[in-house]
Amino acid sequence: MLPDLTHEEILRYSRHLLIPEVGLDGQRKLKNSSVLVIGTGGLGSPVSLYLAAAGVGRIGLVDYDVVDSTNLQRQVIHGTSTIGKLKVESARNRMLDLNPDIQVDAYNEPFTSANALRIARDYDLIIDGTDNFPTRYLSNDVAVFLGKPNVYGSIFRFDGQVSVFYAKEGPCYRCLFPEPPPPGLVPSCAEGGVLGILPGTIGTLQATEALKLLLGIGDPLIGRLLLYNALDMSFDFVTLKKNPKCRVCGPNADIKELIDYEEFCGVPGHDHEDGSAGADWDIDAPRLAAALSLDPRLLLLDVREPHELQISALPGVLNIPLGQLASRLSELDSARDMVVFCKAGTRSARALELLVSAGFKKVRNLKGGINAWAKEVDTTLPIY
Amino acid sequence: MKYYVNNQSEISVPAASVAELVEAILAQYPALRPHLYDAEGSLRRHFNIFVNGANIRDLNGMDTPLTEVDKVIFMASAAGG
Repeated sequence: MLPDLTHEEILRYSRHLLIPEVGLDGQRKLKNSSVLVIGTGGLGSPVSLYLAAAGVGRIGLVDYDVVDSTNLQRQVIHGTSTIGKLKVESARNRMLDLNPDIQVDAYNEPFTSANALRIARDYDLIIDGTDNFPTRYLSNDVAVFLGKPNVYGSIFRFDGQVSVFYAKEGPCYRCLFPEPPPPGLVPSCAEGGVLGILPGTIGTLQATEALKLLLGIGDPLIGRLLLYNALDMSFDFVTLKKNPKCRVCGPNADIKELIDYEEFCGVPGHDHEDGSAGADWDIDAPRLAAALSLDPRLLLLDVREPHELQISALPGVLNIPLGQLASRLSELDSARDMVVFCKAGTRSARALELLVSAGFKKVRNLKGGINAWAKEVDTTLPIY
Repeated sequence: MKYYVNNQSEISVPAASVAELVEAILAQYPALRPHLYDAEGSLRRHFNIFVNGANIRDLNGMDTPLTEVDKVIFMASAAGG
């Protein structure tokens, strides 16, 4: 039995009620439905706003982060006034302002193997708006085990991907990507950047797919994946089939319960940079300042991309972007003491690993990168 | 990926199969190799190649034949959100 709409709701959703494919019954279906949005960031922002506006009766939000100013270039559900506040609370308040007739459940916790099934069980579908591989594999497996559709979207710089993974009717995420990339091979948005509008485009496509599934209308992206490029303004579709060797939804599946996804992916389950190469290899910014004053021959190796040096730079450094380091090792003198740095310490930690495996011994990582230097040593430099 | 092929989003390469196409591209852009293949020389499992929208896994793999008009898409997984 679908819930009735109040007179106020009939007025609010008038433009939906006028579409025959939605109509009064469709709007009642939306009021009766529930969606879990994993991640309240770039993708989660438009997804949550539009699902709230559309009148989806109950929306769950999972995120444990707080709003910071670097989010606001794309995470439009938050605002300058909510910097420092919990993302799920910031988003919930904005959604209830947009539509006070819905229910918003806020889960201020990381989505993990320990809580994922409990949280996701009571929702009709899952929307994957996370920013990291471990949570993407977790969201997929949860959707497969609970028999729910997983509306997938991911972004990088100018490129986006959208699909609906629904193992009951088509392939799942693991059918397409049986394994994550090796740690460090595919940069995150925190490292490589993203056009702020891109998650708007991809997130609204995810919200569209979610509404179609809830209403039972149209041709969902099950078994198809959309590849979008903002620079070319190109939309390509590829066909996806179930992978008979899939370890979670194939006929001989051997993964029957949630696993340790951080171990599986070899990376932590978040897109934050901790900026450390391990205590034995790190030097912090004040110690580096002291070391530089004692040893002017200390080599500073900046492994950022050249355009980042226009944002902030240290004098007298050698700039070899991480991607070129392996082929330019001959430019470095392994007898000299060296400190490697980048924006926040993640890429330089990888550079250090590469240098050490190539036989360099007198090398250290600037913990927290040039951002830590800007915070602790030279406050005239911007943090980005 | 296009950052390893001189920032081009599309390239035209004559090739009679996917394997030939990949080798022709890698000959021009060797820095791409570790992104496509693992240490054992297998195509990485976060990587997919589509010919006219169909995954080569559902065709003849790297031996999938190509003609002049075929459109091949290389797609890596991305986690950003």
